[in-house]
Amino acid sequence: MAALCTARCSFRSCSSVKNVQKSKHMFRRCNVRTLCSGTQDNDSAKPQFTDPAVQDILTRITGLDLQKVFRPIKQELKPPTYKLMTDEQLEKAVQAATEQAKKLLQMPPVLPERKPINDVLSEDKILAGMDTAKYVFTDITYNIPHRERFIVVREPDGTLRKATWDERDRLIEVYFPKEGRKLTAPLIFKEENLKMVFSQDRHEDVLDLCLVQFEPDSSEFIRVHAATYEDLDKQGKYELLRSTRHFGGMAWYLLKARRVDGLLVDMLKRDLLQDAVSLVSLFNMVHPHSESAQEAVSQQVSGIDLLKIYSQKESQRSGYIELALQAYEQTDTRSSAV
Amino acid sequence: MAAFVPMRFVLRITCRIPVCPTGGARQASHLTSRVSVASLQTIPAFPPIPVTAWQQTRQGSFFNKLTAEELWKGVLAESGAGARKGRGKRTKRKFKRDLNRGQNVGEGRGGFLWPGLNAPVLKDGTLQSMSRRGEAEQQEVQAELVRQRDEWERRRKMKVKRERGWTGNSWGGISLGPPDPGPNGETYEAFDSRVIEVKSVFNMTAKEGRKRSISCLVAVGNGNGAAGFALGKAADRTTALRKAKNRAIHYLYYIERFNGHTIYHDIESKFKRTTLRMKKQNKGYGLHCHRAVITLCKLIGIKDMYCKVEGSVNLLNITRALFTGLVSQETHQTLANKKQLHVVEFQSERGLLPIVVASPKDGARSDPEVEDEIPNTRLHWDDVRAAQGTKRSIWAGVKRTIW
Repeated sequence: MAALCTARCSFRSCSSVKNVQKSKHMFRRCNVRTLCSGTQDNDSAKPQFTDPAVQDILTRITGLDLQKVFRPIKQELKPPTYKLMTDEQLEKAVQAATEQAKKLLQMPPVLPERKPINDVLSEDKILAGMDTAKYVFTDITYNIPHRERFIVVREPDGTLRKATWDERDRLIEVYFPKEGRKLTAPLIFKEENLKMVFSQDRHEDVLDLCLVQFEPDSSEFIRVHAATYEDLDKQGKYELLRSTRHFGGMAWYLLKARRVDGLLVDMLKRDLLQDAVSLVSLFNMVHPHSESAQEAVSQQVSGIDLLKIYSQKESQRSGYIELALQAYEQTDTRSSAV
Repeated sequence: MAAFVPMRFVLRITCRIPVCPTGGARQASHLTSRVSVASLQTIPAFPPIPVTAWQQTRQGSFFNKLTAEELWKGVLAESGAGARKGRGKRTKRKFKRDLNRGQNVGEGRGGFLWPGLNAPVLKDGTLQSMSRRGEAEQQEVQAELVRQRDEWERRRKMKVKRERGWTGNSWGGISLGPPDPGPNGETYEAFDSRVIEVKSVFNMTAKEGRKRSISCLVAVGNGNGAAGFALGKAADRTTALRKAKNRAIHYLYYIERFNGHTIYHDIESKFKRTTLRMKKQNKGYGLHCHRAVITLCKLIGIKDMYCKVEGSVNLLNITRALFTGLVSQETHQTLANKKQLHVVEFQSERGLLPIVVASPKDGARSDPEVEDEIPNTRLHWDDVRAAQGTKRSIWAGVKRTIW
């Protein structure tokens, strides 16, 4: 439990910014690699997570509840300080707090899973049987990015190969320990323990820990995130992640899986119509070949009509969405009449 | 003159044991005349005493002729030279006891049943006459009476354990319960009273010289901001405590607390030679104060505070300094109204989020507060040393479970 809170503390102290910068840097290089390897047209046409339009919509639906973002963290308490402010100073303070909140709500990257490394550098049969243990050689020069470090393993049977991703992570943690990261993954990431934590509604803490412990493109990271998002979708507890940095990731995952109904219904329940509309427009952006997207493009609709088309064409819970839309229209006409 | 060996008297029963020593035993008896008379020590062989010796009996003596109160007055010896001027020892004090308790008119050793006294007058419509109980029954009745008397004696002697105040044998911090209800029927059930100080003070009078009296400082409070204190003086302790308790309820102060658990800001209050430096603390800190200040804060309802008593440690002055200081607090609302600015709170565990605690009722003014780069407050040497780390105190970081 202390580990979860230290994870949140370390985020507040802006170490996450460095993390994201590094992984963004790495991500651009990954992107370059995939562009070179795969078919160019499909990938460039599909909107990616880092597109500014996509990011803009995702930040909008995440919301910005200052009270939730600046929840008191567990630390040694000190008595508060008081200041006398005019209205302008107060507004400036609120703006500064909003800026800080926006920095804290920066989304962690969503990357495809990294390909395993199976590179053998040389096979020296002379050295076979020399020792019973593997030798790992790590380059610990200070100013090389971790992704470019050379870490090689000499097996007992003489082969010199590049270290696997797991070995790389472990050794980098040994020589360059990061705050909050442990050498062996905490037991909370096991399946049964995750279930227990989800039953306590602590999805956000799990995701924070996961972000600190694993690299964004490691299999563990993707597995834990997927498990968390699945559980949230199943139980409909989207409110837990609203106004946190993980909401964008969850929305993106659900969009990719084409299961946005639960989220849409939750938004309508809480009267967040604009968010629902942006979500549907994002859906159409991500899946341009779906029926609702084609209808929308053909009819040039926007606003609530998008929702109507989506509920008719794609969704399984169309009844609820239509009811909610009708109720909204009624209130709208009533307020306009008044 | 015959030296009478004093005989032990039992009410109305004359002693039948012949105890007249003769001859050679006289000197010994003279010396041991005060020692137990009815002892069964073997008397050395004397010339045989005729059995029918004359025994002294009396029908009436001072025992029958005086009332119980007068007899007890003589036994207890409360007025006398020994009792005055505090010369009496505490252990030699005797207590008065009502010997007629449990006795009914008509009950006696004979076991007679007198209608109207022991037995009912009319039984089944018929008038009853005097009768007598059987022996076994009478013995039972007597045994029952003896048992009842023993029970009363045991109850009387049972010591109720007195709750411990700040230390054993100190009356500070002991609760006296709620104050007594007033003359118009008002009750003070919500209030609890605590003793702060009990001391015996002396006054020189013309006739007796040093006259002793007990002075008690008692504070009352309901744990919700209403509290008060008063001094009561009387010759004995219980009266003085009662006087102080009932007087304190007429001198109440109302103290505003921030969020119901602490003060609004750091206060430094001075009364005579006692200075109290009080610091605001967050929830869960506890009361890190002088034991008297802890008692008073609990009565007021303050749960977290740090307080340092400097100068004199006179308890009455500490109490007065505390109350004057707390009453002179400036709430956030009054501060906002006075300065015409918003009072904004910044908590370290919440980052940069501003929380508006109080707004002026007429709206904030437009020119901001002038703040110097170096604030013009007077620092305390203790705080400076603690901040710099030069203060060597073994009690600074100690972990306690209760404060």
